[in-house]
Amino acid sequence: MSWAFLLQTLASAAAIAILVGFTAWARISRPPPKLDAAGALRVLADEFPDASPATPWIAADGAGAVARSGDEALMIFRLGDGFVARAAPWARVAASPVVAGRLTVRLDDPGAPRIRLLTGDGASPFGEGPAS
Amino acid sequence: MKAAFDPVTLATPFFIVAIVLEIVLARLGRARAAYEAKDTAVSLLMGLGSTVAGVLTAGAVFAATLWAHQHRLFDIPMTAAWAWVAIFFLEDLTYYWFHRLSHERRFWWASHVNHHSSQHYNLSTALRQTWTGGVAGTWLLWLPLAFLGFPPAMIAIEKGISLVYQFWIHTETIRRLPAPIEAVFNTPSHHRVHHARNPRYLDKNYAGILIIWDRLFGTFEPERDDEPCRYGIVKNLGDFNVLRAAFHEWIGIGADLLRVRSPREALGYLFGPPGWSPDGSRETSAMIKARWRARMREKAAKPAEADPAAASETV
Repeated sequence: MSWAFLLQTLASAAAIAILVGFTAWARISRPPPKLDAAGALRVLADEFPDASPATPWIAADGAGAVARSGDEALMIFRLGDGFVARAAPWARVAASPVVAGRLTVRLDDPGAPRIRLLTGDGASPFGEGPAS
Repeated sequence: MKAAFDPVTLATPFFIVAIVLEIVLARLGRARAAYEAKDTAVSLLMGLGSTVAGVLTAGAVFAATLWAHQHRLFDIPMTAAWAWVAIFFLEDLTYYWFHRLSHERRFWWASHVNHHSSQHYNLSTALRQTWTGGVAGTWLLWLPLAFLGFPPAMIAIEKGISLVYQFWIHTETIRRLPAPIEAVFNTPSHHRVHHARNPRYLDKNYAGILIIWDRLFGTFEPERDDEPCRYGIVKNLGDFNVLRAAFHEWIGIGADLLRVRSPREALGYLFGPPGWSPDGSRETSAMIKARWRARMREKAAKPAEADPAAASETV
């Protein structure tokens, strides 16, 4: 690797830092509003159009939700100005522990290995998971 | 492998200026472009990392291309106009099949998925390039051009031109171009469809420069005003970790291979379509599309309740 390439790489890294700073300053994208039941159901309908979710549990900060649909738990959580969705067996989600006030669902998914949703009182919203 | 004339290096200042311009226009409300700072950081870091990764494998790629050219069938001069016309079409056709393979077979999707991992679609998304393309070996697809007789520098320049062309189409700012251009060239509208995860749009519009290949091989899908593109991948990433964006599908392949019970399963996990599983418990694009078609048929059967997109549906 030549000095010229190293210099070019460092200059590119500096340009990236400036561009990202500029993007943050521009504040073009804003986080979506806090979820309520209707909002969560809208997002869930987009993400899981074939499912029939029950009334969702909403995270205390409005940044995520879980709804049961048959044997499945349908989960959404905020990422930047959008949402990410995953489905998992209901039994596993209901038994997930609350860690540091957050329902912590571990998934067998390298793209999103863990989902953490803020509970209001530090207890499992589904009454099954162990608190720690 | 870099030619003395490298279109990508020459275009890099233009890339930066264009991104700044798109951000400014979006900030002023004069253009449609969603920029999220962390998402942009991932895109730009993927671009930088791709350059570094490309240098690491450049020697092997160059040596293989040189070897193929040494065993060439014809002597094709770099100075002939017809040769540039020929390589323009042949390289673009090669790109189409590279790109199609990169979506339809998991081993190569693992290398390409990072380019689609943003939920946004703007000029910075164009720079969200692979770190593992050299390892995935998709560059082998370009060796026949060298074997035919096109000089390695000519192939590198044409690949660079294609990459530079594909930068400007990663935008929501440009809606539609005049019909003759939309008919022949890959445009922002066509490429938005390619980056969308709506079932209708999955695995469509693989073109590099010319959209004619998609029309020819049956993978063309026009953008519909009644169905806005939802960008990203079927299962969007859970954070803005650049390493996760680069390697998550490779890690998924590794985890699956640790569980295989037969060579058939191993081959399926490696070279089956993304989402393939032995018991069908995961979903491929074809399965997602089939569910969507069934849903549309059901909606169309109930016209009073159907939404406009479903009522005019032809699936």
